[in-house]
Amino acid sequence: MDKNIIDVKNLSKSFNISSKEPGIKGTIKHFFKRQTKSIKVIKDISFEVKEGEIVGFLGANGAGKTTILKMLCGLIYPSQGSISVSGYLPFRRKENFLKNITLIMGQKQQLIWDLPPIESFYLNASIYDLDNFEAKKRIKKLSDMLEIGEELFIPVRKLSLGQRMKSELLAALIHEPNILFLDEPTLGLDINAQRNLRKFLQKYNKETNATICLTSHYMKDITSLCKRVICVHNGSISYDGKLDLLLKKLSPVKEILIVCSSDEDANQLENSGFNVKNKTKNEITIIIDNNSITSSLKTILNNFDIEDLYINEPPIDEIIGKILIKKDYDI
Amino acid sequence: MKTRKYLKVYRKFLHTSLASELEYKTNILIDLITAILSLIGSIFLLSIFFQNNNSIGGWEFEQALIIQSIYTILNGITNTWFNPNLTEIVKHIREGTLDFVLLKPIDSQFFISLKKLTPSGILEIMLGFFLLLYCIKINQINLTLSFLILCLITIICSICILYSLWFFISTTTIWFVKTWNATEVLRSFLYIGRFPLNSFSFTLRIFFSVFVPIAFITTIPSEVFLGLSEIWKILLEVIVAMVFLFTSRRFWLFALRFYSSASS
Amino acid sequence: MISKLINNKIFTLLKVQYSNMLEYRVEIALWAISGIIPFFMLNIWTNNNLNESINISNIMLSRYFLCAFFVRQFSVVWVVFSFEEDTLMGKVSPYLIQPLNPFFRYFAQHLAEQITRLPFALIIIFFFFIFNRESIWIPSLGILLLSTISTFFSFLIQFLIQSIIACLCFWTEKASSIERLLFIPTLFLSGLLAPVVSFPEYVKSWIYFTPFPYLIDFPANLLSGNATNISGGLSMQILWILLLFPLFRKIWSSGTKKYTAMGS
Repeated sequence: MDKNIIDVKNLSKSFNISSKEPGIKGTIKHFFKRQTKSIKVIKDISFEVKEGEIVGFLGANGAGKTTILKMLCGLIYPSQGSISVSGYLPFRRKENFLKNITLIMGQKQQLIWDLPPIESFYLNASIYDLDNFEAKKRIKKLSDMLEIGEELFIPVRKLSLGQRMKSELLAALIHEPNILFLDEPTLGLDINAQRNLRKFLQKYNKETNATICLTSHYMKDITSLCKRVICVHNGSISYDGKLDLLLKKLSPVKEILIVCSSDEDANQLENSGFNVKNKTKNEITIIIDNNSITSSLKTILNNFDIEDLYINEPPIDEIIGKILIKKDYDI
Repeated sequence: MKTRKYLKVYRKFLHTSLASELEYKTNILIDLITAILSLIGSIFLLSIFFQNNNSIGGWEFEQALIIQSIYTILNGITNTWFNPNLTEIVKHIREGTLDFVLLKPIDSQFFISLKKLTPSGILEIMLGFFLLLYCIKINQINLTLSFLILCLITIICSICILYSLWFFISTTTIWFVKTWNATEVLRSFLYIGRFPLNSFSFTLRIFFSVFVPIAFITTIPSEVFLGLSEIWKILLEVIVAMVFLFTSRRFWLFALRFYSSASS
Repeated sequence: MISKLINNKIFTLLKVQYSNMLEYRVEIALWAISGIIPFFMLNIWTNNNLNESINISNIMLSRYFLCAFFVRQFSVVWVVFSFEEDTLMGKVSPYLIQPLNPFFRYFAQHLAEQITRLPFALIIIFFFFIFNRESIWIPSLGILLLSTISTFFSFLIQFLIQSIIACLCFWTEKASSIERLLFIPTLFLSGLLAPVVSFPEYVKSWIYFTPFPYLIDFPANLLSGNATNISGGLSMQILWILLLFPLFRKIWSSGTKKYTAMGS
């Protein structure tokens, strides 16, 4: 269980970007003397992933999540540092390595547009050296898990986005890879389809003990799937650890809305030393530190006549949103 | 083991692309009519050239027809394999799905140059083949085994050169996404292949044998059919074909290195 | 009032499309190069002295093919390919909402592309004159004006024909194959590969009733100073435009009706 399946050490990647002045003069100048700038998009990152883990990569657009993912599956050649994925150097793209991994990109499709998905599955099966019998067995198993059936026999162009995504997943998983790389897998799907996809990934992870690395903009994907998150900011890792811990660190307080039975009680409560956010008549909102929440609530319940009480967890989306926009924070 | 896998995958390619093309049946018919009209048109043009002359560049009308038939066969091959796959590569790169191809445990050049097939081109190949048979009859060519083997070798070499030219252009899509216009340039050059090389002026002849080896593609096989070709020309074509295949392969691998170190 | 409004719109569209086309100057340059087939044809004609039989001197023939190249450059139409792509990608629906026929947009695109193309065509012509100094000539202002008009008419005829084909996209998914079919007679009969005077009698007897010779042959003859019936040619061009325009209007209106009824 505790074996490291992905091992990244001091990984850096810089891209050469040619800069060109606008206009014809700039074009001519560019033609004779190419001016290139080297931009470091990934700066000296290191991390490990254990077998069977689900890791979420968080970060704003352009933070470098996709670049990391693509380096892990061998599509981008690293500039410095070392990567090992299940014992292989990814960028060599050795056959046995490729048979071990899969990449799923939301809204990028590999299925043949004019044909039913089943045709693409058998094509992929032959590419991955599976015989027809084995392919049939796997298609049956995966389509049961994904809850698709007759859609497999309808041309892809006539499928809905959700059905198409399920078929894409099936095509990407037919060789039973034990490492899954997902880049924005839920992009453009509706809430229902998103939920189904997450449910499936969870089930797949449980049943096959496959390792899953995913990036997503939907916080729900991360919070419901990943116990561990890696936050990427400007090409560096700003946080790597448990999701709960991250949330606790980022939001050390809770909001509590108390409905008192009378206005006097509310007034009394307002003046008893709590951090009051706002108050209207008999309703009062106070902010309590996570550490003292139980003791504070006990005192309130004992001393005041309370009609109702709501504990507002600050929405996770908002917190993670904060990570994405905040430029300089340290955890 | 390896070849068996590739054969199996190719069978699947055939199956899937035929099935997708059959979704547009009228298209196949229209393409066939286009191929027939195009052949009639070029024979018409040839007949204009020959209406007051007996020979052009030393080729008589019946002999020039052989070039037409070989051109039609090669054009059919281009339309069956090279052109649809080039379209597919452009799509792969524009939509970023080349990544899927590169992550498959199969040779990417194999995948990318043989995935698609347009069946109407096969009809064009047959059309060219019938014309070739007719030409063999009217030119009273004796078919012997060694002769046929020689013809086959030169035609295969032509196909290899043609494939490499198309694949070169396909590869450049990795840098410039819009290669359509470059293929138009190549197409207009290939158009020259309908006529005997000797009918052009000396400078053009040099250009079309050294820079863009169109000359090798149709003229040499036709000369072989007429028994006019010298052995050194055939050898030269084999060498040129091998050099082209080799460089197109190297160029593709180089482009892939570039792709994987520069794309984001 | 209405025509003023449309003119204004076209002018704005033209400006936008021109700056858009400038972005594609490399592609357009390549496209200009791909139009050099007439020069290859000229090479065959003069190199084999084929022109002696049709009583056209070398110089006049080279001027003819040069003009054919030039006319072709400014009458290339690709609206069907753009329109097909736009329908497939679902871009047509927003165009339909706008109070302007989408074909005006394509029309402006074509004009803008021609303006971008002009310098490249001039460079190619410059090189042609370097190699063929004796064929340099300066047409009179009146001829220049008339041939510009007839080139524009040729462009209009082709634009209308292709727009009609493009409207077939509302019925079949791939209208471009019909265009490819129609391109074959255009290629062989328009005079791009051989002047229409050189055609055999059995073709010449009916070809002047088709639009083809007015696409390249007539404007090219006019510009190069070869013998041609100026008023007859121009009136035939206008006749074809008057014939095709209502046809386009009709097919467009029934096409959009079908499109909106389908609700896709």
